[in-house]
Amino acid sequence: MTILVVGEIQKGVVREASYELIAFAKKIGGELRGLIIGSGCGAEAESFAKKGAGHVYVADDAALANYSVDAYTRAIKAAVAASGATTVLISNTPSGWDVAARVAAGLDAGFVSDAFNYADGAYVRRVFNGKLDARVVSTAATTVVTVQPGANKPFEGSADGKIERLAVDLTGLKAKFIETKSAGAKGHDLTKAEIIVSGGRGVGAPEKFNEVIKPLADALGGQMGASRPVVDAGWLPHEYQVGSSGQIVTPKLYMACGISGAIQHLVGMKGANYIIAINKDPDAPIFEVAQLGVVGDLFEIVPKLTAAVKAAKG
Amino acid sequence: MKILVCLKQVPHQDARLDIAGDGAWIKEDGIKFEINSYDSFALEEALRLKDAGTATEVIVTSIGPDRVTQALRTALGMGADRAVHVKDAAVDGSDALGISRILAAVAKDAGADAVFLGLMSDDSNATAVGPMIGELLGIPSATGVVKEEKTASGFRVERELEGGALEVVEVTMPCVLAVQTGLNQVRYASLKGIMAAKKKPLDVKTAADLGLTGRVGASAAKVKIQKIYAPPRGTGAQILKGSADEVVAGIVGKIKELGLL
Repeated sequence: MTILVVGEIQKGVVREASYELIAFAKKIGGELRGLIIGSGCGAEAESFAKKGAGHVYVADDAALANYSVDAYTRAIKAAVAASGATTVLISNTPSGWDVAARVAAGLDAGFVSDAFNYADGAYVRRVFNGKLDARVVSTAATTVVTVQPGANKPFEGSADGKIERLAVDLTGLKAKFIETKSAGAKGHDLTKAEIIVSGGRGVGAPEKFNEVIKPLADALGGQMGASRPVVDAGWLPHEYQVGSSGQIVTPKLYMACGISGAIQHLVGMKGANYIIAINKDPDAPIFEVAQLGVVGDLFEIVPKLTAAVKAAKG
Repeated sequence: MKILVCLKQVPHQDARLDIAGDGAWIKEDGIKFEINSYDSFALEEALRLKDAGTATEVIVTSIGPDRVTQALRTALGMGADRAVHVKDAAVDGSDALGISRILAAVAKDAGADAVFLGLMSDDSNATAVGPMIGELLGIPSATGVVKEEKTASGFRVERELEGGALEVVEVTMPCVLAVQTGLNQVRYASLKGIMAAKKKPLDVKTAADLGLTGRVGASAAKVKIQKIYAPPRGTGAQILKGSADEVVAGIVGKIKELGLL
């Protein structure tokens, strides 16, 4: 049984999530092989090999300098063929989820998405936007698995590194990388805020943010934030969004009002020093990361809290 | 340009999730269903291309029992031209690859130039089907699409990366676009639209009609959910109990203790 771990280069280095894949592979157990895809990436491949991946295939071509779905699909398929891998681990990052299921379909393999653990022969993953967990088993000859970044500690050992060049046919590609646009400066920077009061879908209507959430943020001398569904609905601009595709925040106090706590939101705020959650659903995942919680109606609690904070400040 | 939009009907976001007797999925009887949020944005995007005259036909498809007719009728009411309902007990228990085989066959059957769907579903959260359809049909796919623009040969799309960065990619047509939520404002079906939808074609197909006998369903599935359960609870939050005034006093006390008030 051979496990292929697909490393990902980000800003010129193999990203931490790739070393988490090695740790994940060790949980499954088996012969390890690595893959690095890029252009002029020999040093990164060597580093990945020596820091734990061991025998690393390297697909090195000018056409692989930037992520392209069909080029990367072909590179991974070629590495599976060369290594005889029965399990392929890919980080569940924007390029990882773009390519992984294609590789699975191309190999007629089993596919498991966003696993955060492997135990007793099963992959464990979140379903229903974090409300339930599922144990998933694969009976396929080959299984492609994407692994949730940040869920496993990165592997920190070393290995005897070996690099093997991999030939990949890169003719006739149908997806072409044009450019990457950086996030740009935020008009509403939450990353430096000491106190953030965020509202979610439970706030119910755009005007309620100014009527209920913002007054509490103002009273506390903090900033207002929001979860993804709020921004998706157009209730607040994207610059208010806290989460993996918005801003990653680390305030001293984070108050989540009417936010259930989907994984992509938790990624953005779990680094807060103290988290208080107000939600009507006692089973909301937000209560797992919060230190203090209130199961109740935010429209009853928040205005009273705003008044009490104002009173305390005199 | 013909666009096929794949719609999954999922339990309503506020539905009570009780584990079914077999322990492998939730109890589906008695709960409300809705169109997967990601897919509704894909439908809206396709309808906008039709409104602009770029698309000539928007076909919607869904796999499932009778209840999915409601999702398809809603989509027709919003402006889709026709619907294909894949209804067949033989497809029950399909894994993502089985579902993708069905949708790829529907796309081929319809002669779709583009397949639009959501990045993932609100129930399985798997990010699987879009890329799989692309691979099965040998056409490019792009996921996490937050903007699309028709070009002479296909689409120029913006994909969402981490921390708000974007990746601009060009794909040739035919192609699959798996969209992120929030790329547009989804319309509601008008009363007139709902009335008109009653006269729009809604075809029902089986796995056999699509030439997939034995290639989909539980027996063909390579991946299975063994067990589904509430996530193990950590220590979790200390929950404040009492009247609104009491919990407010508790929160204020804590904020003072943190030195922030």
